[in-house]
Parts: sequence; C-alpha cells; structure tokens
Amino acid sequence: MSGGYNEIHPEPTTFWSKYIISFDHKVIAKQFLWYGIIFLGIGGLMALLIRWTLAYPGEAFPVLGHLLFPNSAGIVPPDSYAMLFTMHGTIMIFYAITPILIGAFGNYCIPLMIGARDMAFPMLNMLSFWFAFLSGLVLLASLVLPLGAAAGGWTSYPTLSTMIGSPGAGQTLWCVAIFLFGVSSTMGAVNYVTTVITLRAPGMGYFDMPLTVWGLWLTAILNAIFVPVLGAGVILLTLDRVMGTTFFLAGASATSGSGDPVLFQHVFWIFGHPEVYILILPAWGIVSDLLSFFSRKPAFGAKATALSMTAVSVLSTIVYGHHMFTTQMSPLLTQSFMTLTMTISIPSAIFFANWLGTLWKGSIRFDSPMLFSLGVVFVFGLGGLTGLHLGTVTTDLYLHDTYFVVGHFHYTMAASVLLGGYAGIYFWFPKMFGRMMNETMAKIHFWGTMIPLNGIFFGMLMVGYGGMHRRIYNPFVYDSLKRLIPINQMITISAILMGAFQIIFVINFLWSLYKGKKAPNNPWNVGTLEWTIPSPPVHHNYDVIPVVKCGPHEFGNPNLKTGRDFQYQTEELVEGPA
Amino acid sequence: MKRNELQSNLAMTVVLVSAAMLFITLFMGYAVFRSSAATWPPMGTEKVSLWLPFLSTVLIAVSSWYCYQVRLDVARKDFSAARGHLTLTTVLGVAFMLAQSGLWFHLKSTGVFVTSGIFASVMYGFTWIHAVHVVLGLFALGYLHVVLRSPTDAAMQKTINVEKFWHFLGVVWVLMFFGLFVF
Repeated sequence: MSGGYNEIHPEPTTFWSKYIISFDHKVIAKQFLWYGIIFLGIGGLMALLIRWTLAYPGEAFPVLGHLLFPNSAGIVPPDSYAMLFTMHGTIMIFYAITPILIGAFGNYCIPLMIGARDMAFPMLNMLSFWFAFLSGLVLLASLVLPLGAAAGGWTSYPTLSTMIGSPGAGQTLWCVAIFLFGVSSTMGAVNYVTTVITLRAPGMGYFDMPLTVWGLWLTAILNAIFVPVLGAGVILLTLDRVMGTTFFLAGASATSGSGDPVLFQHVFWIFGHPEVYILILPAWGIVSDLLSFFSRKPAFGAKATALSMTAVSVLSTIVYGHHMFTTQMSPLLTQSFMTLTMTISIPSAIFFANWLGTLWKGSIRFDSPMLFSLGVVFVFGLGGLTGLHLGTVTTDLYLHDTYFVVGHFHYTMAASVLLGGYAGIYFWFPKMFGRMMNETMAKIHFWGTMIPLNGIFFGMLMVGYGGMHRRIYNPFVYDSLKRLIPINQMITISAILMGAFQIIFVINFLWSLYKGKKAPNNPWNVGTLEWTIPSPPVHHNYDVIPVVKCGPHEFGNPNLKTGRDFQYQTEELVEGPA
Repeated sequence: MKRNELQSNLAMTVVLVSAAMLFITLFMGYAVFRSSAATWPPMGTEKVSLWLPFLSTVLIAVSSWYCYQVRLDVARKDFSAARGHLTLTTVLGVAFMLAQSGLWFHLKSTGVFVTSGIFASVMYGFTWIHAVHVVLGLFALGYLHVVLRSPTDAAMQKTINVEKFWHFLGVVWVLMFFGLFVF
C-alpha cells in the first residue's frame, strides 16, 4: 500500500515528545489509564461521602470530614450532597469509565490486536487526550467555585440545571466540560472507526478480529453518532444559562412562546441510552475474549456474539423512551418503547448464553483476569435481569427514581464495567509495562471487590424496592423509611470495605510497575497478535506487519503437534486428517 | 482507492455524521417547539424579513460553487486558478458571516432580543451555532490556502475534505433558511 499507510514513525527522543505530547497509541493509552484511575479515586471518594450521609445522617464524615466541610462540623451539607452525587455520576461515567475502557484499552488494544503500527491519525489521537485533559480541568475547577459545582444530577435535567435551579457558574462549567469531552470522544471515534476498517493486518477479516476490538469498534460508532446529540443539548443549555435564551425554560407568557424542559430529557436520553452501551460494549468484548482465553476453548459462537453485540448497538438507539415513562408520555409510546426495550433481551441473551457455552467443559484457569471476567458474567446477569423491571411500564412506574434504579444501573454500568476494566488491566498489564502484577494480591483484590460490591448494589436494589428514593439528602425524615437505616448502614460498610480493598490494587499496580516479575512475551499463552511481540512492544509495534491466518480463539485443537494448546493468529489453522 | 485516501474519506465521513447529528438534534428540537406552539411566530412577534437570510443563502451557495471549482482546478493541477477560486470562496464565506451579523442586528432593531422567548432563542441560537461552524470552515479554507501554496501529493485529498465540510455548512444553512425563515 502506498502513502502514509502503516509506516514506521521515527521514535521520539525528548521527554516532552515521548511522554507528554506523544503520538504513540501505547503512550496515549497509558495517559488515559492514569487519567481514568485518578478520576476513579476522586469519584470513589465522592461515593463514600454520599454513602456515609445516607447511613449516618447528621454525623461527621470520619477523618476527612472536618477538612472538607469545616463550616458544618464535618457533616456533608445538603447542597454539597447534591453536588456530590452529580459530580460522582459525571466523573465516573465520563472521566473514569470512558478514559479507562475506551481511551486506554481502545488505544492500546486496537492497533496491537489488528496488527497495525499505530492509529490511523496519531496526531488526532494525541489531541483527543489533551481535550479530555482540558475537560477534566474545567470540571475540577467547578468544584472550587463560590457557589460550588453542578448539582442537578448527572442527567442535568432542566429546570434543576437552569439558572433557576443552579445559580452560579458550576453548572455552566459542567456543560463546557462535557462539550469538550464530547469533542475528545468524537476525535477518538474518528480514529477507532477508521483504524479498524483500514489498518487490519492482511488476512484479518472482520470475524478474525478479537471480540475486544469488536466491542471497541461498535462503541466508537455509537460515540460518533450520539455524543453530538448531547453536545447539542449542552450547547442549548449553556445558551439558556449564559445568553438568556429559553430553550428549556417553560412558563414564559403564551404570547412569546415557551421552551420545553422535557425536550432536554429526550435529547439527553437519545444520547444517554446508547451511552450505556458505549460504556459496556468494550467490557463485553474484553470478557468475551478472556472467557475463551482462560477456558482454553474457542469462544462459543464467536460470530454470533459479534453480531449480537452489533444488534444490541443498533437496538440501543431506539429504546431511550424507557427512561421517561413517567413524563406523561402517551401510552402508545410507552408500550412501543417497552416492546423495543424487551427485544434487546434477545441479542443480550444470545451472547450471554455464548459466554456460558464458552465456559462449558473448558479447562478453566482461575487467573485474576478470568476471576474478574467471571465477576462480570455474574453482575451483568443481575444487572440485566433487574433491567426488565425498569423496562416494563407497569413496574417502572413504581420503581422509577428509587434506589432500585440506582442498584440496577450500578450493576450494569458500574460493577460490570469496573470488573471488566480490572480484568483488562490485569490481563494487558504485562504487555503494557513489561512486568507481571502480583497474582495473590490480585486475587485478594478480586474477592475484596466482588463481595462488598454485591453488598452495595444488591443492598441498593433492596432499599429501592422498599421505597427509598434516590437523590434525597436525608430520606429518614420520612418515618416509613426509617426501617431502611440498617440496610443502608450495611451498604455503606460494604462501600468502605470495597474502597479499602482498592488500595491493594493501587499498591499492586505501583509496586508491579517497578518491582514486578519481568513479563515474558506471552504470559497467558494466548494467540492474538499482541502476544507475538515483546512485552512491552517496541515503538512501532511490528517490525514486519503480521499476516493473519486464523481466528483469535484457536484453543484445544487436538490436531496441534506443537506442544501448545493454542495457535497464534499468524499460524495456519491446523486441520485434522480428512 | 489508495489506503490513505480511504482513511481520509472515512474519517471525514465520521466527522460529517457527528456534525450532522448535532444539527439534526437542533432541528428535532425546533420541530417540537413549532408543533407545540399555538401560532408561529408566537403572537406579538413578526416573521423575520427574508431579505438578509436570502442574501446569506445566495452567498453561501455561490461560495460552495467556487469551492467545487477549487477541487476541479486541483484535479487539473492548475494551482494558481485553485488559489484564485479559493480566495473567492473565502471572501464569500466572510460575506456570509457579515450578512449573518446584519441579520442579528436587524433582529435586535426590530425588538427581537435573545431573551425575547423561544422564537428569538431559535433564531439567534441556531444561527450562532451554525456561524461557529462557518468560522471553523473559514479556518479550514485558510489552511487550504497554505496547502495550495506549496502543494504536495496530499493536496487533492485535503481539498476534497475541506470542500465536503464547506458544502455541508451550505446544506445546513439552506435547511435553516427554509425551516426557520421561509416556512
């Protein structure tokens, strides 16, 4: 091929060009990883503050309380509580999950797994990170404003998010930050979509791509289409706040016409529902691959899994109305959205069954990436099942805006994605940094995460079913909810425990970076392309672009005579006697 | 098609899909405002005079035509003609922005302020958002000037990409012209 296709870029020599404005997808991936992990810590601390308030209302937050809230004797004040749940949601979704799952794994895995030397547009890739960085700064800056940060919930519904509901610049900076992040995501999407289509190694058909790449590719497509919808929404919201327009303000006199607050909800969820899948698709892809890798079996129905993920992506674009059943939508519409929502169960069930099919009779190796992958299977199963109650109009009317919703979306979006992210980090760490992470600490981290995690989110399902509303500072002013205090304390203690076990991960991560055992080229005995090259890979990844001859999940072939139980994708598929 | 051309075309397609989704969302919102309003423009507000929007439409349409000529010139490797047509495109683009500014002053002079309600919100908000994209387009035209001063093999592909974006802005404006001002 001619032109700039897959050429070897000169290796950067200065610190600045190597680590700061690097064009190398591997370095950008690590930048996104650090960025995401730092925000994960900030968002996690916010979660603990929220949880403390719900379990021990009126009591000072231990240790940090007096430092953070000196004017209220260490107790989280009501207005700060609203800011905390708003910023917790925003940070976790846009600034922790997105950078880790899409920014870090997307950048690291796509070129390596398809046999490319870099992304199609390395400079755009660099810009994508720095736009995200700028966006993060703007968001953090809003925390120290006189009137505080945005407090209208991560969904920022008007009128909560208009000047009436949120005076001060916090909400405006939130809009600016989200818009900048959208620009960053779109830049990433341009790169991912183009790279997957044009830079696959010779011989690699779409169904020869690892399912991780499938997940990331579908995510990029959804990002490119739906992030601008939110972009339009936040621009109009910003104009309402800054310029005095009335797009989302109702109640103006009939003669001058009225804006429509519910319109923002439509715009938000037209973006928001695909966003759920934008976040979970990379995790699905990673888990689909890892289950096969660590069961030492071909991924059961890999093609069907890829197509099911595609079907879910398509369907995710036409179900958003289920977030708005309580907005006086016509029953005809609610029933249509309910039916469409239920159809998502079909492709979801297909790939879920494929996951179980992959495990069935496998020679399962319980290494840490596998443990976390199995964790995803469990928590995503629970999250998916609780979604049925919310997708059904009749039950949603009762459960809407309760902690049942919070439990459900944390199981799907937080727990699944977090565990999927950890699976990915433990799996690719040796390739990224050339060292192994400590396996014992990883296993302690897994159980220390998995058990409390279910305490938290299953607890949320229970208190929600018991009638506890979300986003209320102190629900226990209502006598009927007082009986839920003990479960809330159980949730909070679980959250503190889970938080504490994350310290083990941080220690393991940092320790392994410098002191971990040197990683061989292929520590997990896996055949995808990135494991054919040194750990960490050289600057240009592949000295010679590999030629792909078989799929990514060739395990346990009885005709193999190499002494290995797997084949590299660069090897001709070994066939048995005819 | 060469691989790098395919990459470039794909990337531009994704960019245009993203930008289109932004404007589609605006039009969707507009459809909601229009269909839920008892009368449009709302009582007490007059329809905006078509003169300036029509002038803007003519300016951006002609600029698109010259932008198309730039690509034909580059294809013929007649770079001096290309630079001439590109200058015309840019001047017309700037003229479009002046006409838009005129429109905003005109609205203000007729008592339609930004804060005057949903009609004014749509008129100002949508044209502002489009204008910001036109400014980005003008930067792209400026970049193309630099490219065509010392053209390389990639000049054609860059011309095609800038041309696509410029036409896209024209199409969005024409939709706004008919949607917001004519009907």
